[in-house]
Amino acid sequence: MPAHLGHDEFFTSLTTLLTTTSTKTRGSVYLTQKPLPPSTTTDSTTTTPSILIRATDGNTSAPNPKTHQGKTKSKAAVPKTKLSTVVNPDQLEAFYARYAEVCKAGMSGLKKRDRKKGKAKGKGGAAGGVAGGKVTKA
Amino acid sequence: MPYLPTAQSYLEQSSLLLQAYPDARITTKYTFPPRPSPSTSTSTPTPTSTSKPQDATTTTTTTTTTTTSTADPTPSKPAVATLVLKTFDPRSGICLKYKTNKGAEVGRLITSLGKLAAGADVEGLGLGSSAVPTSGTADVEMGDAPALGAAGPAEGGDGAGSAGKGAGGKGKKKGGKGKR
Repeated sequence: MPAHLGHDEFFTSLTTLLTTTSTKTRGSVYLTQKPLPPSTTTDSTTTTPSILIRATDGNTSAPNPKTHQGKTKSKAAVPKTKLSTVVNPDQLEAFYARYAEVCKAGMSGLKKRDRKKGKAKGKGGAAGGVAGGKVTKA
Repeated sequence: MPYLPTAQSYLEQSSLLLQAYPDARITTKYTFPPRPSPSTSTSTPTPTSTSKPQDATTTTTTTTTTTTSTADPTPSKPAVATLVLKTFDPRSGICLKYKTNKGAEVGRLITSLGKLAAGADVEGLGLGSSAVPTSGTADVEMGDAPALGAAGPAEGGDGAGSAGKGAGGKGKKKGGKGKR
């Protein structure tokens, strides 16, 4: 695993990863988040540990070995794309705001339904006024 | 583990799981379905959504099928990606999943994942009142039933009003009065 990226580099790479997957309409992008063990975090006094974010294509951008078996051996060596970054607790909100934006923009292969969106939004807004303010920020 | 029916229930259950097992990890998978015939995929990867004009040109140039040409807009395109959210705790083996293909949900989901990462509880997610369980809905139903009767006795109305107060459903109560 290469060293963790900074947030800016991470988002840049993630954008390209999502965009290429969406344009190819093939393959997958895996995003994981999990708390780092307290021992490795720099500041152990914080209540919430740092969050490790990983993004990978699961090597799905590589050609299908079944169909490309005898064609080109060089293509088999396409490396798996792996990105990772660490988010400190105090950066979480800002990070996820950008993260959501990047994902929204990058995941263009999903269905787009403006009517449904408005409906869902209204429901969510009516349910929690507090949430509404947070959502608009993001 | 089965998929949870709604994003809200997924997020609520995930927050409970994370509270019980903070080590649980959340995986978001954005994936396209595998193509049945590899011959088409290798030759011309068709861009789905990024550009409508390109789609139009490809449909006109290629002589594949009539169905695609008639239904030009993007939603009818075959390759619709899916987004699968999975919360998994390796220690307990508990796994929660939610699957969607609606782009409108992405922003909300990711923002909620951020709140989960920050250790938010069910209320902290700000998902709203459905966390208030069955009692609230039962009260609402009771209030609605006499309203449907329209010419219901005053007694029923009072009962509904008090129930609405108990549940904190001000909107429902007002609506009932307005109808009368």
